[in-house]
Amino acid sequence: MKDVETRPKKGEWIIVLTILFASLPLILGFALLIISSFSRDMVTDLSLDSFRPTIENWINVFQGRLAITGGIRQNILKITLNTLVVALGVSGIVTLISTLAGYSLSRMKFRGRKLMMLLLLMLHAFPGVALIVGVYLLYRLTFPQEPSFVRLYSFFYVILARAALEIPMSVWLMKGFFDTIPWEFEWSGIIDGASRIRVWRQIMLPLIKPGILAVALFGFLAGWQDLIYVRTFLIDQTLATFIEANIEAEYSHMPLIAAAGTLYLLPTIMFFLTAQQLLLQGYSGGIKG
Amino acid sequence: MKGKVGVLLAMVVLFGVIASGCIGSQETSETKTTSAELTGDFVKDVLAIGKALESNGVNEVKFSAWGSGDPNSVMRVYGIVEAARRINKVWEENGVNVKITITDTHYVASFQDAYQEYLSKQPLGQAGDFFVNSYAFLPTLADEGYILDITEYANAYKNVIDDFYSSLIEASKFKGKLYGLPQDTEARPLYIRKDVAAKIGFNLEGIEEKVKNGEFTWGDVSYWAKKAKESGVEWGLIHRKGSAHPDLIQFIFAFGGKLYDEDSGKLVVDVPAIYKWLYVEWKFVQDGLLPKDIMSWDWAKQIHPAIVEGRTLFDIGGTWYWTEWQTKEYYGKEGTPRPLKPEEVQAWFAYTLFPAGEKGLKPVTLSQPFIWMINSKAGQQNPKYDELEDLYHKLAFLMVIKASDPDINAIHSVISAHLPVRKEAAKLISDEKWLNDLKNLNLDLDPQVKTNIKDIVATTVHPINAKFLADVSYMLEYTKLAPAHPKYPALADIFKEAVDKVLRGEMTPEEGVNYIIQKVNADPELAQNVEIVGEIPKDWKFP
Repeated sequence: MKDVETRPKKGEWIIVLTILFASLPLILGFALLIISSFSRDMVTDLSLDSFRPTIENWINVFQGRLAITGGIRQNILKITLNTLVVALGVSGIVTLISTLAGYSLSRMKFRGRKLMMLLLLMLHAFPGVALIVGVYLLYRLTFPQEPSFVRLYSFFYVILARAALEIPMSVWLMKGFFDTIPWEFEWSGIIDGASRIRVWRQIMLPLIKPGILAVALFGFLAGWQDLIYVRTFLIDQTLATFIEANIEAEYSHMPLIAAAGTLYLLPTIMFFLTAQQLLLQGYSGGIKG
Repeated sequence: MKGKVGVLLAMVVLFGVIASGCIGSQETSETKTTSAELTGDFVKDVLAIGKALESNGVNEVKFSAWGSGDPNSVMRVYGIVEAARRINKVWEENGVNVKITITDTHYVASFQDAYQEYLSKQPLGQAGDFFVNSYAFLPTLADEGYILDITEYANAYKNVIDDFYSSLIEASKFKGKLYGLPQDTEARPLYIRKDVAAKIGFNLEGIEEKVKNGEFTWGDVSYWAKKAKESGVEWGLIHRKGSAHPDLIQFIFAFGGKLYDEDSGKLVVDVPAIYKWLYVEWKFVQDGLLPKDIMSWDWAKQIHPAIVEGRTLFDIGGTWYWTEWQTKEYYGKEGTPRPLKPEEVQAWFAYTLFPAGEKGLKPVTLSQPFIWMINSKAGQQNPKYDELEDLYHKLAFLMVIKASDPDINAIHSVISAHLPVRKEAAKLISDEKWLNDLKNLNLDLDPQVKTNIKDIVATTVHPINAKFLADVSYMLEYTKLAPAHPKYPALADIFKEAVDKVLRGEMTPEEGVNYIIQKVNADPELAQNVEIVGEIPKDWKFP
């Protein structure tokens, strides 16, 4: 008798093939982008003739050049750093607030709890674009008059604004994770004299690591790939706005843009590759009891 | 005693009067230093502003320059850097302890994107102090108060303003007021492959004059395109694609139509001219002279290679093609793609105006001038802005005047294959010695500017290219501008859709015109801004 449920191996290859086939356009798209970044021509027609190997595009990208000849040089490292600051900022704030809020919504009874949960859900229904006029108005009202603070404030504001869009769903997600943890874990801590905040930090958080990672990752991606909020509020450029502003079909050197696009993808791919085991636990939910 | 008191009182009163007079005169002197009158004498004005700034304790003025466009057009921001250096030099030589620093040279490829960024950052005081972009955006920016009205400043510099081509100065105006100075412009010639023409017996001698006189029309283009096709050439005509590039609307003007009614301030759908345009394009496709899917061709892999490899007789392009073909690897006939040499471009291509649609009409070309605009908050990042606003604004204007120096404008024209906006710059382009100095970068330029244009200069500065620019400059006399109307981009998109459908054979030219009318009427805001005039001609024939 088998001690775990297993699928019959017969026909497994059909499932694998179907999944592969369904993912093919995506894989192909990314593969062509990466190959083109190492070519003098865009490899978009699946013709090997188009592939003329070079690392010139990558050299140009790291030199912040927008074209093969001359032009203005951008500080690509600074642009990458800006992107990282926004992404990590959003990720940090979303993770902190959603773990705290998720815990309280899961474990504590207080007035307006249900209403708050409903409102959070409603807030999530609003797309960021729909809120941008109001968010812009608030930006103008709170904008510092002192020019030397403006750059810093624009980072602070874009991180907060972007995080605010992610928080509702993340709170719900974290609440779900806290709900799966048996009360006994918490009680034992409280009986031993620990405060609620200590229980949250030392007992609960380690048990929901996959959830924290998932929320942190989603927050990071939201900040990394955001275009509209970053373009509207941030004074400096991020990789997303840099690439968008330099895609001009007629005269952009597209393989160079492909290299910039690949650079833009790298952290996301690395994040997924290194954290996929933990994420899978996150998706399946639950803990060992 | 009384007398002594009287004397004392009189002295106190006298002291009071003198003191108040002194204080008063001090106030007057301070008022004087917060503004300066522009006289039209550049050095004098720069010195007056510099001294006024210095007397207010300002020793550094920070400005930023925002530009956009193709990679060879970087003088759009470096022109400002160079202007700052030249003004700094004047101050330094005259002992004025003030310096202009350009804190940011922001340059992106997409000019629409740059415009959107300016729109969102200007109200926050975070947009560039100098903004160079298409004239098409000027009315909206002026209407919103986002750019400076320089009419009064320009009055003092009439000698400089008069040197600009007048049509370009008109394009820099909104409601009669001047909101910027032209930076560059271009023409959109009809290129003709000389080798293909020779092969089919098409004599190109005097073709420019024939086009100018309206003797060579689109009927002739069609005739020779068919001949080329019969001789085995792949296509008769290749043209540009997309709605952002207004090349194809030249057909409307070439068939005597119009796109904008100045009296009503509305856009115009000129039905007869649009029908003729669509019909010509449709006929070219039906005869196999023009690819039916040209509107989705790839620029780098299909459009340019087809032209430079001689797979078409005619091409509707832009003046900047001339150097673009020399810098990009489009020519792949010999195996590995490579750029063309200047001698090859000259040997292979003839160029004329966009021919008249029919006999009796006039040829045209189309320009989309770029304008140097000044942020209405220019200088905001500097000390005592509220107090010294007038000085900062006038200094910004003088920088644009300096950035329009003939040599700066000529450098930009030569390296980017745009047309000069000043007559003095046009003269400079024909000066062989100056061209040689530019080729060797033996010019008095900011080191930062030299470093950043070095590669472009090496690949583009050539007597052949300068001759080309000089040759096509006359086209500005025939130029038309796309309407600088906020709803024009929406109408241009509809045109593009209709052309694409007609070319692909999904619609007849007549259906194409009706499609345009329906789409205009379906958008209430657009319908309010567009007049539909005329009817589809019944007995019109195209050879």
